[in-house]
Amino acid sequence: MNKLLQELQHAAAQRETRRHFLHTCSTGLGAMALSSVLGSCGFLSKDNSATNEVGGALMPDGSATAPRPSAYLPKAKRIIYIHMAGSPSQLELFDYKPELAKYNGKDCPQELLEGKKFAFIRGVPKMLGPQGKFAQHGQSGAWVSDYLPHLQGVVDDITFLKAMHTDQFNHAPAQLLMHTGSARLGRPSLGSWVTYGLGTENDNLPGYIVLASGGKQPDAGKSVWGSGFLPTVYQGVQCRTDGDPVLYASDPSGISRDVRKQTIDAISQINQQQYDEVKDPEILTRIAQYELAFRMQMSVPDAMDIKSEPQYILDSYGVNPAQGSFARNCLLARRLVERGVRFVQLFDWGWDTHGTSADGAIEIGLKTKCKESDQAVAALLHDLKQRGLLDETLVVWGGEFGRTPMQENRDGQVLPFMGRDHHLDAFTVWMAGGGVKKGFSYGETDDIGYYGVKDKVHVHDLQATILHLLGFDHTKLTFQFQGRPFRLTDVAGKIVKPILA
Amino acid sequence: MRANWIVLGVAGIGGALVLSSFLGVFESRVDYNTQVKPLLNKNCIACHGGVKKASDFSLLFRHEAVAPAKSGKPAIIPGDADASEMIRRLTLAEDDDERMPLDHPPLKPDEIDLLRKWIDQGAEWGDHWAYQRVEKPDVPAIGTFWSRLGLAGSDETSWAKNEIDHFILDKLRDEGLKPMPEADRATLIRRVTLDLTGLPPTQQEVAAFQNDPSPTAYEKVVDRLLASPAYGERWTGMWLDLARYADTKGYERDPGRKIWRYRDYLINAFNADKPYNLFLTEQLAGDLMPGASDEQFIATGFHRNTMTNDEGGTQDEEFRVAAVIDRVNTTWDVFQGTTFACIQCHSHPYDPFTHDEYYKYLAFFNNTRDEDVTSETPTLRFYQGADSAEAVALKQWMRTHVSARTESIHERFLRTMEPKFNSHDIKQITNASLLDAKYFGAQDKGVGQLDKVTLTGHNRLLIAWGTKEAGATLTIRQDGPNGPVLLTQPVPKTGSEWKDTIQIFALPAVTGQHSLHLSFSNPKHPKNWTMIKWVAFQQALPDLQQEKRYLALLNKDPEQTPIMLDGSGDLARPTHIFDRGNWLVKGKRVTPDVPKSFPAMDPKLPRNRLGLAAWMTSREHPLTARVAVNRFWEQLFGTGIVETVEDMGTQGIPPTHRELLDYLAAEFMETDNWSVKKMLKRMVTSATYRQHAKATPELLAKDPFNKLLARGPRVRLSAEQVRDQALTVSGLLSRKMYGPSVMPVQPEGIWQSPYDGDSWKQSTGEDLHRRALYTYWKRTAPYPSMVTFDSPSREFCQLRRLRTNTPLQALVTLNDPVYVEAAQKLADYMRLRGQTPEAQIQAGFRRVMLRDLPPGKLAVLTRLYRNTEQYYRQKPDEAQKLLAKADGVPVTPQQAALTVTANTMLNLDEVITKE
Repeated sequence: MNKLLQELQHAAAQRETRRHFLHTCSTGLGAMALSSVLGSCGFLSKDNSATNEVGGALMPDGSATAPRPSAYLPKAKRIIYIHMAGSPSQLELFDYKPELAKYNGKDCPQELLEGKKFAFIRGVPKMLGPQGKFAQHGQSGAWVSDYLPHLQGVVDDITFLKAMHTDQFNHAPAQLLMHTGSARLGRPSLGSWVTYGLGTENDNLPGYIVLASGGKQPDAGKSVWGSGFLPTVYQGVQCRTDGDPVLYASDPSGISRDVRKQTIDAISQINQQQYDEVKDPEILTRIAQYELAFRMQMSVPDAMDIKSEPQYILDSYGVNPAQGSFARNCLLARRLVERGVRFVQLFDWGWDTHGTSADGAIEIGLKTKCKESDQAVAALLHDLKQRGLLDETLVVWGGEFGRTPMQENRDGQVLPFMGRDHHLDAFTVWMAGGGVKKGFSYGETDDIGYYGVKDKVHVHDLQATILHLLGFDHTKLTFQFQGRPFRLTDVAGKIVKPILA
Repeated sequence: MRANWIVLGVAGIGGALVLSSFLGVFESRVDYNTQVKPLLNKNCIACHGGVKKASDFSLLFRHEAVAPAKSGKPAIIPGDADASEMIRRLTLAEDDDERMPLDHPPLKPDEIDLLRKWIDQGAEWGDHWAYQRVEKPDVPAIGTFWSRLGLAGSDETSWAKNEIDHFILDKLRDEGLKPMPEADRATLIRRVTLDLTGLPPTQQEVAAFQNDPSPTAYEKVVDRLLASPAYGERWTGMWLDLARYADTKGYERDPGRKIWRYRDYLINAFNADKPYNLFLTEQLAGDLMPGASDEQFIATGFHRNTMTNDEGGTQDEEFRVAAVIDRVNTTWDVFQGTTFACIQCHSHPYDPFTHDEYYKYLAFFNNTRDEDVTSETPTLRFYQGADSAEAVALKQWMRTHVSARTESIHERFLRTMEPKFNSHDIKQITNASLLDAKYFGAQDKGVGQLDKVTLTGHNRLLIAWGTKEAGATLTIRQDGPNGPVLLTQPVPKTGSEWKDTIQIFALPAVTGQHSLHLSFSNPKHPKNWTMIKWVAFQQALPDLQQEKRYLALLNKDPEQTPIMLDGSGDLARPTHIFDRGNWLVKGKRVTPDVPKSFPAMDPKLPRNRLGLAAWMTSREHPLTARVAVNRFWEQLFGTGIVETVEDMGTQGIPPTHRELLDYLAAEFMETDNWSVKKMLKRMVTSATYRQHAKATPELLAKDPFNKLLARGPRVRLSAEQVRDQALTVSGLLSRKMYGPSVMPVQPEGIWQSPYDGDSWKQSTGEDLHRRALYTYWKRTAPYPSMVTFDSPSREFCQLRRLRTNTPLQALVTLNDPVYVEAAQKLADYMRLRGQTPEAQIQAGFRRVMLRDLPPGKLAVLTRLYRNTEQYYRQKPDEAQKLLAKADGVPVTPQQAALTVTANTMLNLDEVITKE
């Protein structure tokens, strides 16, 4: 018993040697069920679902990303997570507040300001009514404004979470909280947890791919797709829209594919001889990884090349093939999930509408961002549905927090454009596909969209729900680090059961 | 230990005791640490521990466990298991509601028997091994009885080189294993050179070693390596992860930070073999050392590597607290190998630390002057040239004209611009705001207030401030809007409120601590902002000329590096417990102290960071030396004696060779006087270290992770070593040391900072090929090829790099222009050193691996060469492209084929592995 306990701790703590487990106890594992694998290696814990941890350590083919079954039957196999970095205004898009229009231009009542801290609002700001024209759409009667005409057509596939709330009112910490469960740097991102738990379905592609648009990285930088303390093999691989889609994927000028093949073969042969001599299992892994690298050099550019897409598809997304754009990233997301990529993370920068400039104005910049993205998002849902992929692909759309019902008055001044400050108490996130209800709306905010008043969903609840849809118990998907088990949802998180299909 | 095993075997003690891997006593006394604690940790402590105390019963400390629980009765009655509620609950019928563990399967009978016996024996608690004083164990005897008398030879005695080997052999014998012989000299010198200097040896160094017949040949090599400047660079590389060193501040804006002098301090400290206890003290408390030198100030950069947040709208106090918490956690992680972060929010679930103790310990660190301010204050200022001469002249004048106290205050202010009030301390009352959430700003009719300013003996106000156009005026009143006026002054026109100038104003003589009322008027430009960056209160220098000189120096902007400094007087900061770790919810006030589970601090020690460092480095402290030697061991052998170098607590992995660890820790403190070089020399001269790394199938089956060390270490090179080796063997590496970080070749588009305009400005000349540790490190976008080889982002301290083996690594060494350039240069070297492809390939391989290729591998590379030569003969354009950037190289099919071969060579497993 003592020994078993130690071994369990050992398995958890000795991350880098995970590949060795296969050499000591995994001969011919490929077809075996996870539980029997664990049993055969003596890693059964009394709580079977906790073995996500150890399951990650067992890889039939020596790769840390071989596909693995989840703890129980998943509804979604993959995720496309669309993050609008900067945070779109829920009050202009989804959370229709006719009452707020009545207060437009009036001083914000003192009781709404007491004890509150804002990123930029100082003193007494004015209220700002909704700027979009709202109507109900679809069978479900979902409220969507005229900012998003295309999305209006697909609302019957969507579940809206209208009373989301978070703890952080600045971009970087709020984005970190949304993606890593913690506002500080250093934790693994959602996509890392998912690939750590499930591996990838395509040996020739990374399991976790990140696509960014809008001209800039998200505020929190690469940490929002970092692997934190998980092995780096689980970090998101950013496919770039200019240059090599994956860093260093192009052979150097003057080295053809054939020459590269010959070099890889030579490396493998010499490494094999080295293995025969010193018997270090790590060498076998290295041989496999070089061969995967060679395949990735072909498959990544292939997946990223949209030239083979028919014109009507390009048109439906509104893609100009010559230009990197959010629309192109949506199309790429479909191509990637089609090829078995587990987690596709999209970031689009430029949704931070404070009203300090035209680009950052509710009445100008936000409209432009909506126009640039609306068609593509709707097309993505259509396209996935048509290909039968939507049922097993979860699409998530949202920002890192919401926007205030007050108009921003940075440093007590009147700003030249209409803008709203960061707001943590109410915002909207929507999900579609893989295991969530179709045409459903969950949660309500008060009359001015300031606080959630019914069915509130915290960021950790959203994360718990996403993991649930992928077949994980969020309290059990853990990793031992610096002496204690860590998980995405920290010590919180409740599954939002009413939205499950 | 061996003796006990024999006794165990002879006595045939029953099942329950076999649970333990060893016993510390002859009789069958239950051992708390090895037998009881694992059971309690596994089955009980989640509900009855430091986090949750269900029914007021906790098993974390003995005094809690034997105290009456909620029922009024104690659950454990020492000496009487039958009367103990705990045993009753454990043995109830499976479906009984009161049975423990609740909702979990019952304990096994032998486990319950063990707990029963333990209670009957008095329910003694024991300290975890790592929390007990380091006692030097006896060195195990090796060899046969006769060989020990010198009457016969023995494999063991002739193999062993020093005491380390005795401990290793002792364990191997238990397992029926034999160690491996010494590696060949080429392999050995490559291993030890990479380990001690991070670079491969030269062929001359290998030849010298191979041709040296003296018995001290290897020792001479080790001494040479320890004396090499590259030694300090290599160990600094390790320390930078622990110090979470970076060239940027982190968080959203992640702008640059100049703290490379701290990196250079490390290089010098390692090269000078600064004793580890002093090394620790300078980094934690150099600023508090008497007569602190620049070097000691710079050393405190260790804890100024915490991230700071310049994002608009952030609360400085929130991120100041985050930095202090990071310092506490990092101090424990790095020097004590203990997870302290848990008790930020609650008592430790497993280890004997309480919630209060976290904040008492935090109080040591909570009084520093850094406050998440954009300017990075406090910094150490390096006056250059004429300014430096001015500073010296002023100091000389002060020595003879002012009191020692005034001199020291002004001298400190010249060096560090502290103590001062940062302007976020000025309350924004009317028409005032923290501009960009950073600095205090006020418009016409603006009012601010600064509380708790001691004016006694302070007849000068120093203020850094400015505004766009002339016309604004500041009036300062004592104790409120109607108080006496202390000062009325026009705000200097600086062209923008974001530009400031420092001014000194006379204040009337006032005694006591007061609040200052600041009112602004600006009728001409009522919307213009006046910004104040900081204010300070000092005694005047009694000479106007000298005061002008002083002011001129303060207005210089010399190079600076962030340092630690404690606040005192008005600026001393009390520490409170944060309820459940939330910095906004302050609990009771606490004063600095160390956890009770450790030896108490000597009452003579000051209760500050300096006293703390003295406590950490005392002979009585159980962890500091153990953690240090374990880390050095891990760096050489690939795995620590305690594998979890980050956690020596009860949840860490138990040591493979506990006596060896204690022996080394004791030697480190007593014999080596904390000399890192002596400790490393002891390790690398052991026979254990010198073994060859080949594994037999039998050995692999028995010891797959090489825990028992029956073979030499074999691990992939670190990110730094992979790069530095490629640059070395291609002849590209620059050996320039020190200075600001450099920007080698990096793909376009890695840096995309949302706000600041920072960009990667590729270095020129030799700075393109400096050692990896000099590479500019941006936390949100670190150098990509290093990250691919497992370098951490350095946002937080990383105690152990996890070695991964991924396809992205292959793409780096195959295709990264840095490695292509290395291959071109290596191919050029090969061309000049042989007439045949075979000879050229051998020459190249010898340069990289310092040995000949065996025939089988040579055949593979020769075949590759011939095939690709053929290819480039048919496609001369391709050869042209491959060699386009290689200067002074003939563009021939042969050269192209050699380049491809060299590229292949640099990707071989053995090349990127330390064998």
